[in-house]
Amino acid sequence: MNRKVYILGGAQTDFERNWSKEGKGVIALLKETIDDGLENIGLTYNDIIELNKQGKIACFVGNFIGEYYINQGHLGALLTEVNPAFYGVPSARYEAACASGSVALDAAITKIKAEDYEIALVIGWELMKTVDSKVCGDYLGRAALYEEEAAGIDFPFPKLFGKLADETVKKYNLNKDRYLSNLAKISVINYSNAKKNPNAQTKKWFMNEEQANMRGTSTNTTIGGMLAISDCSQVTDGAAFVAVASEKFIKEYCKEDNYPIVKGWGHRVAPMRFDKKILESSDNAYILPWTRQAVVDAYHRANMTVEDIDFFETHDCFTSSEYAAISSFGITEPGQEQEAIESNRIAFEGDKPINPSGGLIGSGHPVGASGVRMFLDLYKQVTGKAGEYQLKKADNGMMLNIGGSATTNYVFIIGNEVDGDRS
Amino acid sequence: MNIKTVTIIGANGTMGCNISGIFASFGNAKVYMVCRNMESAEKAQIKATMSVKAEAIGKNLIPKTYDDLEECIGASDLVFESVREDIDIKKSVYEKIAKYIQPHTVIGTGTSGLSINDLSEYFDENIRQHFMGIHMFNPPYNMTLCEVTPSDYTNTDYLNEVKMYLKSVLHRNVVEVKDEPAFMGNRIGFQFINEALQYAELYKDNGGIDYIDSIIGPFTGRSMAPLVTSDFVGLDVHKAIVDNIYKNTNDYAHETFVMPEFAIELIAANKLGRKTGAGLYQTILNTDGSKSINVYDIVTKTYRAKEKYVFPFVKQMIKELKVGNYASAFNKLNNNHSTEATICIQFLIKYVIYGIVTTKSIGENIHSADDVMATGFNWVPPLAVIDAFGGLEAFRQIAIEKSSKEFLSFIDMNEILKDLPKSKYDYRSFFKAK
Repeated sequence: MNRKVYILGGAQTDFERNWSKEGKGVIALLKETIDDGLENIGLTYNDIIELNKQGKIACFVGNFIGEYYINQGHLGALLTEVNPAFYGVPSARYEAACASGSVALDAAITKIKAEDYEIALVIGWELMKTVDSKVCGDYLGRAALYEEEAAGIDFPFPKLFGKLADETVKKYNLNKDRYLSNLAKISVINYSNAKKNPNAQTKKWFMNEEQANMRGTSTNTTIGGMLAISDCSQVTDGAAFVAVASEKFIKEYCKEDNYPIVKGWGHRVAPMRFDKKILESSDNAYILPWTRQAVVDAYHRANMTVEDIDFFETHDCFTSSEYAAISSFGITEPGQEQEAIESNRIAFEGDKPINPSGGLIGSGHPVGASGVRMFLDLYKQVTGKAGEYQLKKADNGMMLNIGGSATTNYVFIIGNEVDGDRS
Repeated sequence: MNIKTVTIIGANGTMGCNISGIFASFGNAKVYMVCRNMESAEKAQIKATMSVKAEAIGKNLIPKTYDDLEECIGASDLVFESVREDIDIKKSVYEKIAKYIQPHTVIGTGTSGLSINDLSEYFDENIRQHFMGIHMFNPPYNMTLCEVTPSDYTNTDYLNEVKMYLKSVLHRNVVEVKDEPAFMGNRIGFQFINEALQYAELYKDNGGIDYIDSIIGPFTGRSMAPLVTSDFVGLDVHKAIVDNIYKNTNDYAHETFVMPEFAIELIAANKLGRKTGAGLYQTILNTDGSKSINVYDIVTKTYRAKEKYVFPFVKQMIKELKVGNYASAFNKLNNNHSTEATICIQFLIKYVIYGIVTTKSIGENIHSADDVMATGFNWVPPLAVIDAFGGLEAFRQIAIEKSSKEFLSFIDMNEILKDLPKSKYDYRSFFKAK
């Protein structure tokens, strides 16, 4: 089952938008995203009807917890409310906390590889601004072991990733101040990259290293252990859409034939509880060994190494998770992440840029959408369509999307079939 | 352009204070905040810090008074004047600072109403070349519009360098506008708002202020209904803007800039709006701690509870917008022949036409009106309204069919709507389902 899977394109909403403030709900969100996505790939709702008659199309919806935020479940079927063209189209919702987008992508890619369908539409979304930030934090606590790690705790996830920060310092015997200033630098790189991204949530926001280092002040309050607001991604509304297709589909329906392909993937699940993760990894060089393993699997499947990857989109739900991702990607050895940060290797102009889009901290984190948004950003970069945040060299990109406290780990590598053909 | 040190004169005012925050944060400039006394300068420093939500910039903000002008101006690469909108006050400030200005220093005025050419006359020839209008909108952290206006004497290279600085360093949406009364954003915005106020008087027996706001509310492409905006800005400021435009311009919309009598009476009674506790609206704090909104009734000249008007076309539009059926929403509006729907669609048409006419006469290009309205008012921009109605041809037909005969007699609709591009802005986020 090693058939090629092509990426046709897609769309995302402007993550600055607050759909509750606009008075709009999930149907409006999905309608706009799917309309824009279909337009981008040159498909109409009538095409969907025709493809469905022949059993060639299916939909894969990524969402974490719509049941809480908007009191709505059965989210695969919900597409029928977007347009009658979806009547009869196979569609289901996929969930893996903040990696929900990736598990939907994985299912879609697998179905194309298996030749069950010829085109798959993947939609990831979350509407989070329906509740205040404290309630939002509690809902998200369901991505951890709720009873043990989240119930009755204000903002459980910042606290879990604050623990990751503590454990990182401990494991590698780091200088705490130096580590914190590196986390600040990660934050600033993401904010500054987001300034180039017209869909970024923080495009108007101000952040600099000094502010990011002023943890514990009224404009940068501490929220989880060592971590402060500047170390966190924010509560975001948004959706993202991508379409993947078989070679047969490309030949039959598309004008172009130079679409990028999925080159590799990795999917590993670590122990759910954070303390068990740390216990399990105590004799491993990597603090998040299953995150690393998902990356290694993807390299292996793609027959590639870190040398072949031009850029990364990572899951910087917190600066401490991006820090750990640096060695997981193989950019540095574990424990040496600070070198890549301090030498600007991961900055926009560096040799291994991470999050040219601004990542979750800069561009926003509507949890169920993030995996699809990263995948879309890889597509944009490798096809030269990233506009102001286009990198000079972007033939192959890797994304890491995690759910929970780095519990579900998903990695994809997307690249051009022939390097350098459009850079 | 390297702007390391900035002096803001009048830094305790809302704009002066917030703009200090923008220079100190995105610009990472040392900002001298010149105020009448040290106490207000120190207060302004804290406010400026909070306006960009970053205590880190506090050290860039230095409270100063007019006694320190020599030191501040002499050290500044840019001087921004943000004192009261009074030509004599501005003149006296310019006289005070002129002697300290360095040859390379940029001088900007934040005036929203006075002529840049007139103000430039208070400087000698050397300084004049570096003088220009730099007009931002409140609050600048959220509203990124910056209208830049050269005088006849402004050096073009210098102007372009300043524009580049504002755009790339301060992340402003820079629009160059001609030296015309109120520049562009306020001219287009207050044409709409003041005409809404006139309609409130015209339809006072139907309810007046809240009646009109219910007809052209957030579902027509804005976060706030127009008369709520006026109340927020203050009727005194509103009056200063429209009086200035009325006095110094003469286009087809001239009469729509006359402030209605009832509003002038409210100003005389110091009922200016939110800042004085009452104006067009009044917020009442109930004994149980809840708030309710009253509105000024033009007929009875008293405040009464705000009505919850239910117009079928509004209900239908909101229902469609809620689920993202934009085309259906505009069809509902277009196919409804009630008085209210007609007022609504006519206001949107007039807004588009005035936006296009204005951008053609004082803007940088055809998109300038869109830029100013989207990023200065957070209103759906004019060209985007055309897109929302299904494109230029569909809009042209609707505009001709729905406009009043009187309006059509003022303008050449076909000429104005000739060869217009699509908007750079996506209309969808502007139309609220409320």
